[in-house]
Amino acid sequence: MIWMTWRQFRNPALVTGALLLVLLAGLALTWAQVTDLAAQAGFTGCQGDACAGAAETFLDSLRPRMAYELHLAAIVTLILLPVLLGIFWGAPLVARELETGTYRMVFSQSVGRGRWLLVKLLIGGAAAALGAGLLSLMLTRWAQPIDAASADRLNPLVFGARGIVPVGYAALAFVAGVTAGLLLRRTLTAMVVTLLVVAGLQLAGPLVVRPWLADPATTTVPLDVDGQLGISMSMDTKEIRVHVEPDLRGAWVLSNTTVTSTGAEFTGPADTTQCGPEAPRDRETCPGWLKAQNLSQELTYVPGSRFWALQWREFGVLIALTLGLSWFSLWWIRRRLT
Amino acid sequence: MTSALIADGLTKRYGRRTALSDCTLDIPAGHVVGLVGPNGAGKSTLLQLACGLLDPTTGRIEALGERPVSGSPRVGFVAQDTPVYAGLTVAEHLRMGAHLNPSWDAGLADRRIAQVGLDPAQKAGKLSGGQRAQLALTVAAAKRPDLLLLDEPVAALDPLARRNFLQGLMELTVEQGMSIIMSSHLVADLERVCDHLVLLVGSRVRVAGDVDDLLAGHHRLVGPRREPAEVGSGRHVVEQSHTDVQSTLIVRSTAPIDDPAWQVDRLGLEDIVLAYMSGPGGQR
Repeated sequence: MIWMTWRQFRNPALVTGALLLVLLAGLALTWAQVTDLAAQAGFTGCQGDACAGAAETFLDSLRPRMAYELHLAAIVTLILLPVLLGIFWGAPLVARELETGTYRMVFSQSVGRGRWLLVKLLIGGAAAALGAGLLSLMLTRWAQPIDAASADRLNPLVFGARGIVPVGYAALAFVAGVTAGLLLRRTLTAMVVTLLVVAGLQLAGPLVVRPWLADPATTTVPLDVDGQLGISMSMDTKEIRVHVEPDLRGAWVLSNTTVTSTGAEFTGPADTTQCGPEAPRDRETCPGWLKAQNLSQELTYVPGSRFWALQWREFGVLIALTLGLSWFSLWWIRRRLT
Repeated sequence: MTSALIADGLTKRYGRRTALSDCTLDIPAGHVVGLVGPNGAGKSTLLQLACGLLDPTTGRIEALGERPVSGSPRVGFVAQDTPVYAGLTVAEHLRMGAHLNPSWDAGLADRRIAQVGLDPAQKAGKLSGGQRAQLALTVAAAKRPDLLLLDEPVAALDPLARRNFLQGLMELTVEQGMSIIMSSHLVADLERVCDHLVLLVGSRVRVAGDVDDLLAGHHRLVGPRREPAEVGSGRHVVEQSHTDVQSTLIVRSTAPIDDPAWQVDRLGLEDIVLAYMSGPGGQR
């Protein structure tokens, strides 16, 4: 069964492997570039307040280089990889056999259907996990100075291309494709459905599941009106909204609301003699007026230190779903496929 | 004598469509059995139930005394249109068989491939219909099953390829001693290789028996017009047609008929099958 699985799986596996190898080679070749730039900017081994400036210098010096483009390419690849694995590895796996009738040949050999599918799921799932895992592992190590400097590992786009979460998405997408093919029995239909389902999972993951898994912290701090202020106001209704970037390095901010002392969202009304285009010295008077309003900033956020805990939780959920779907498709092929 | 295939009240429905309803039959082992019947009689469904590719909706089926499951080493199956893997070569099909069957007979497989003139390096997708059927039969036979089920294996073949295929089949039964059940609606082909025949019409067994007994036990009677009831006891009228003055009857009778009022002719297998298919109870 292993030989047969390998024989049928050979071409798509080699194509995917070659593509991944190109990226891995690119990362290996630019490895020194990234560490050198970090060292030149004084970011490597920096202490205290010097770090912020050094990080800025490092990231600026990286931007025109190849490594920067490669970083984006690797992130995009890791995000697209599950969809591609689901469509081109998973969906045709059973659907093509059902469509061309070859299932009647292979099920007539001395191998039960359950074992046939189990071996295919194991080999395909392991290969999908291995491919995504290798690229993610390499990228996570390679991008360590970048992540330390930009402190946005929890950014949904970056988070999904670091650590072990890509392994979970790859395995789940592959099994989802197999299950779609098994249920729909048409390769093309299964591919389209897999695309929709996997894309839906990849959106639902960061938007719905991850905030829930992360168990975010909530804090209320006095509004800092002396720094960068984002103000929008309407002259007719005198409604005013204030937005201040929170000072939470490395955190994933889920919500950021400016509230009054009673806890309600602050919307004005604004004093147009102090703030806005009609106030003669808006830039000087407005922060003072805002300060007098006794405003606070209510933040819901996931601290940067939770990165690995969150990685493991999401990975756990994805693997549980993968195992559940695998069990379902094994049950279906044995009991329900006719 | 054990049974190759037993069905008891066997019914298979796909949603609302009934493919096989309340089928009861008992096919003895050790024969080359022809399963004949009009299109839609349920032959393919019966064979797929017998190899475990389908599960019955209700009723019981046993192949070689066991409930069929796909993956059984004792039952081989060649599906209609003889599906093969288009991307795999002939040699890779044999390799697949060797990997997936503990009882694989590599010598038999290589011999048969050489015999029917298949190029091992050829991709199966490039084979003609006849070559594909030969490849599928080889894979099924080299598994050395005790029971080999063939679903319309010769339907797509030209007369020469058909003869070669059936020739190969007969060699297999002689060499391996396996029971074979093959479905077809080409009775002439079955007559050449089968020693037992089952006629399935509308899911019902209309007639079953050894080919020699069937040939010896059926007669065409032509004579002056009479009512069928008058043919005598122990004789069963299968089909009848009448003109004003003359009656033609197809009669089943174990004893020879020596009534001088009738002109008695022997029948070919095809005539017998057609008589049962068009006689009373033949049409659904």
